[in-house]
Amino acid sequence: MSAFLRLKRKEMEDGEPNLVPIMNMFLVIIPFLLMSASFYHIKAVNTSIPVLSSGDAGKAGEEDSISLTVVAEFKKESIRLSVMSDRLTDQELQHFKAEYPTVGDSGFPIDKYSSHLKDIKAKYPKSETLILIPDNSTDYETIIRAMDMARKAGDVTLFPNVVLSGSAG
Amino acid sequence: MGLGARRRKSGVTPKLMLTSMMDMFTIVLLFLLCSLSDRVETIKLDKDLDLPRSSAEIRYDQNLKLVLTRSQLMIDDEKIAEVKNGKINGVDENDLKASLLYKRLKENFEKDKEKAVENPEEKTKEQQIVFVCDKSHEFRVINQVIKTAGLAGYPNFQFAVLQQ
Repeated sequence: MSAFLRLKRKEMEDGEPNLVPIMNMFLVIIPFLLMSASFYHIKAVNTSIPVLSSGDAGKAGEEDSISLTVVAEFKKESIRLSVMSDRLTDQELQHFKAEYPTVGDSGFPIDKYSSHLKDIKAKYPKSETLILIPDNSTDYETIIRAMDMARKAGDVTLFPNVVLSGSAG
Repeated sequence: MGLGARRRKSGVTPKLMLTSMMDMFTIVLLFLLCSLSDRVETIKLDKDLDLPRSSAEIRYDQNLKLVLTRSQLMIDDEKIAEVKNGKINGVDENDLKASLLYKRLKENFEKDKEKAVENPEEKTKEQQIVFVCDKSHEFRVINQVIKTAGLAGYPNFQFAVLQQ
């Protein structure tokens, strides 16, 4: 009887499986997986900057079909919100104007900003565009947060088209 | 007397305990399988690049990458300018078209245009720039970069973020 068969028989008698080949397999698989594993997941936030285009005023109709464009200005001292539409009167547009002062140095009242956006979306569900105008000193992290809040509130989609713009003048 | 010598004397062959090592490998294997992605990230996170976190769930496209770290501005892997004290060297706010950034982006835009003429199927997809930016940058700096890109023909962006 060969030495290999003797060893195999002995192992079977002992009742212990030979783990060495499995260990070898693991040693091959683990470096391969380590190379292809990603420990961070990078995603993307779609945005655009304003471009010249032919305007589409739309037709007058019911409230549900009116779409507004929301303008959110992130100033040092406050967040200013307003809306634009060719189909609403100045008085109606004034109704959605709001200003929320910052708390502390850079504590933007994001919750109030989010709930104001929810109100606008609830009244005019066809609205999809928000123009975000940050102050020159607003940091990128705050901009991304403001964009997140503008796009979604929980599971509700608010304004999926966020346009990033510099302030005029 | 050493342990080995004692064992040799008693005639018992020492056995390697592989069970605990097997357990460890199984755990490592499962963890790696869970974190396995179906595609490798092409954005490298440098020491001076800290991305903001976001709830976004969209994947970025394999397009031109504009990378703005705390110390430099790059297009893909090519260094375009240095960033010092929150200022991009060689980018004048009042004359963005004179910058190297504009020239490189314009060249790339023209190349894309030629490709689109050759392959009309690709023309339907609007070209976006993947903008990878450190979270500490102020909008003043970011605005210069995205404005320049807009002037060069890229008004649409994908801002790279870390998934929350």
